[in-house]
Amino acid sequence: MTTDKEKRRAISREAARRRRRVESEVFEDLSRLLPLQQSVRDHLDKPSVIRLTLSYIRMHTLLTGKTGTKAEASHKVKCGQVTDGQMIRHEFNGGYGEEEEKERYDADASEETNMYLRILEGFLMVLSTEGDMIYLSENVSKYMGLTQAELMGHNIFEFSHPCDHEELRNNLRVTAEEVWSGEKRDFVMRIKSTLTHKGRSANLKSATWKVLHCQGRSKVCVAPSSVSCLLLTCQPLPLSHTLLSTQTFTSQHSMDMRFTYCDQRMTLLLGYSTEELLGRSIYDLCHTRDTNCLTKNHFNLCFKSQSVSGRYRMLVRGGGYVWVESHSAVIPNAHSSKSRPGANQPLCILCVTYVLSGVEEPSLQLSLDQTVHI
Amino acid sequence: MRPQPPPGTPVPVCGMSAGGCDGAADWPADVSDGSSLPAVELPRKRKGDMEERLSMDCKMEDDLSRSEEEDQQVKIKCFREPHRQIEKRRRDKMNNLIDELSAMIPACQPMAQKPDKLTVLRKAVQHLKALKVGTSSAFADSTNKPSILPQDDLRQLLLRQAADGFMLVVSCDRAKILFISESVSKILNFSLLELTGQSLFDLIHPKDINKVKEQLSSWEYPQEHMIDAATGLQVQTDAPIKPTHLSSGAWRSFFCRMKHSRVAGKQEEKHQLPCTAKKKDTSRYCTLHCTGYMRSCPSSQLDSEGDAETPSLSCLVMLCRPLPHGSPQSPKHINAKPSAFVTRCAIDGKFTFVEQQATTVIGYLPQEVLGTSCYEYFHQDDLQHLAEKHRQVLRSKEKIETQCYKFKTKYGSYVSLQSQWFSFTNPWTKEVEFIVSSNRVMSGPGHIKDEEAGRLKAMQEEIPIIPSLSNGVGTMIYAGSIGTQIANELIDSYRVNSSPSSGASSPFGSTNEKCPLVSPPISTSASSGGGAASSSSQSDSRTAAGASSATADSSGQVSQLDLDGMVVPALSSFSSDEAAMAVIMSLLETEVNVGQPGDYEDLHWPF
Repeated sequence: MTTDKEKRRAISREAARRRRRVESEVFEDLSRLLPLQQSVRDHLDKPSVIRLTLSYIRMHTLLTGKTGTKAEASHKVKCGQVTDGQMIRHEFNGGYGEEEEKERYDADASEETNMYLRILEGFLMVLSTEGDMIYLSENVSKYMGLTQAELMGHNIFEFSHPCDHEELRNNLRVTAEEVWSGEKRDFVMRIKSTLTHKGRSANLKSATWKVLHCQGRSKVCVAPSSVSCLLLTCQPLPLSHTLLSTQTFTSQHSMDMRFTYCDQRMTLLLGYSTEELLGRSIYDLCHTRDTNCLTKNHFNLCFKSQSVSGRYRMLVRGGGYVWVESHSAVIPNAHSSKSRPGANQPLCILCVTYVLSGVEEPSLQLSLDQTVHI
Repeated sequence: MRPQPPPGTPVPVCGMSAGGCDGAADWPADVSDGSSLPAVELPRKRKGDMEERLSMDCKMEDDLSRSEEEDQQVKIKCFREPHRQIEKRRRDKMNNLIDELSAMIPACQPMAQKPDKLTVLRKAVQHLKALKVGTSSAFADSTNKPSILPQDDLRQLLLRQAADGFMLVVSCDRAKILFISESVSKILNFSLLELTGQSLFDLIHPKDINKVKEQLSSWEYPQEHMIDAATGLQVQTDAPIKPTHLSSGAWRSFFCRMKHSRVAGKQEEKHQLPCTAKKKDTSRYCTLHCTGYMRSCPSSQLDSEGDAETPSLSCLVMLCRPLPHGSPQSPKHINAKPSAFVTRCAIDGKFTFVEQQATTVIGYLPQEVLGTSCYEYFHQDDLQHLAEKHRQVLRSKEKIETQCYKFKTKYGSYVSLQSQWFSFTNPWTKEVEFIVSSNRVMSGPGHIKDEEAGRLKAMQEEIPIIPSLSNGVGTMIYAGSIGTQIANELIDSYRVNSSPSSGASSPFGSTNEKCPLVSPPISTSASSGGGAASSSSQSDSRTAAGASSATADSSGQVSQLDLDGMVVPALSSFSSDEAAMAVIMSLLETEVNVGQPGDYEDLHWPF
């Protein structure tokens, strides 16, 4: 009896091994078709192969799909340039020497793209409406530590800060509901990064949070299948080594956005002396219609520790205003004694503000501060 | 950047570990099946390799044992979870992936029953092969690094859609445009041909030319300012940066305005070239954020890998991204109709910001009303309702709509306005800092007719003189005091932790007896501010002067009496309109000086 049982077991084991072998071969075939480097390919497990295959197919659909809703020429132009890409490809199809031309074209494109990504100091991310990272540009490893192959196909919610999930969900939901391509997005999000100080990759368990400024637009494809996604460039927001020109100034604030310090350029550009500003709220200094912009910026600072403000108006001392944009971050208070990290270290906000315009409407006095005579 | 979290707030710490959550499923571990693929090395070795980047000890072991799932003896036990559950999870995950895959493959769609795993995989292989037909050879060839997207598509995606910018390379000496990417045509509406070789300064707004010059030549410029984010302090280097430093790419970031053509660039209908624009040309400009690196490159070619030793030409390689055009971001909270103007008041109702459009409506220039209280311009009919709304807006996160009300213009006439008020709360301190008002004109300016004015006067004469009010000790009861009063309620409500009990004995208890017009403090206000409104009958009475004279008194009883002399009951507590009118009239017409704002805390108003 036992031999029978053993025999049957042996047969089934053999059958299982055969099945697995066949399956592995198919997985191997699949992974070979993916445009990955050999070294990456060798390390892929089965779920990853599927994950990357899915990404590949989705990106392909996205790029070759028709955009916009009704197939009107004007809309196609407005919504997506993908058709241009298609056209270019078709132009190059079928022809003898054109294969080379195509290669050169792509080589140029590749170089431009690489340069672009480098200057951008960020990476490209394509998100499905469920939050799957359908595509990530290769340089994502430079910012997140984890590589393109490790991340692509996974869901952004696994890597972003829980407190930012709601904002993310809103952005994705709006994308799903959208009819036209091209709606802009601009938000700040915290993401896991396994990079250490020295730039090496660490274990995911010791990952730290990195603040990313994400900007981009939505993209809607109707054919062959209805697919919406978000195209985003994600940039970390560093403040170090910012080259400051005469048109840029720094200021420090307490967490409620009251001035604690400003450099002399602010006095030159806006007319307020440091003494005048200390203790004043930035909201008092800006055009009322920009209150929302400032509030959003402030919120990002309080909860995400870094922010880019977008354009707003700062009132100039004698009258008028200038358009500015601020890049800010929460930092430990420089003027306090160096206490141990983790202790209740007082925080402050550091703003680097770029002046975008000249003084507009210099004779106009809109706020109480402007009317106070020097 | 290493921000530390303040206690009790969700600010993340950069040093804080973000790891440890179960998001890392299915890391690309080693292919564990040993049959046709490179043999699986001993677990220990691989683990050391991958585990630096991945986590999930448990998962690692699982992956390795996956191939042996049916062979119980070889299983590596995982102590964290029952193995069955881990297996099940993995199977489920795989099944989900297979399902997703079959959904993406057209060949799998019309099948009657769900295809099995192997079939789906085989179809996927076929599908990928089909997709690759007709795509560029750079896709997976050896010269370029293979990438998951054709490079051209990636560029399209990046430049045109996601990033919405163009690349620009300019020489540093003369700002000659050496290279500009195609996407510029979409942003500035000029074609590549028109721009390449031109001077960048032809494109830049005249007022920004100096700024751009500075950015291009800064490496020679003695004043280099860097900011050290760790300390927030500026580091000033006086020495010019040597050319050798350029090869590592000095970073630049600035904003500038560039000309753009109105008409979308069709080759034939080209607008004036930027350099041939007439002086009177009312060009439109859009603001761009330019970021990039300094680079050295050989004179005639654009070479991003420039030769650091013999820089023949230094240039700036930039990415230029446009900011939203024109007018500010559409304000969601602030209603901005053309006939409307926006004002901002402190919480006591004093104007701190007035848009210039207001002048056409109210006659005053902003500087003429700034610093004065809005209550000075409200018509007496509206004081009650507006004070009510004032209280409401300070305690609400919503926009408050006022009814129509009259606003006194410079010329004495009244104009009908309707406003939307919104109080701004500081995200950090959670305290209300100011009120934003979006005001619109309802109808043509109305005038109070003479008969009406006469009637008001008559009413005034009928009402018996309130003895307490004329006992003024030189204090002025001002319309503005209503606003101040309401503001003080709020300030106190911040200081008092718990809701003030409305049953507390009120220092004004005696007031009711002294002043016949004052009815018991019945609050009709809908304010929810911790019961503060319930004692508003007394609260309105406090004027700045009143407080200051009160604080001078040491005897509590005496101070109360003095104050009582100046008590003016709350508008909302009046039982008769006439009585209300009388008090308001007296408020508006009594000529008394306003003293210095005092410190009310000592008085322990029961708010």
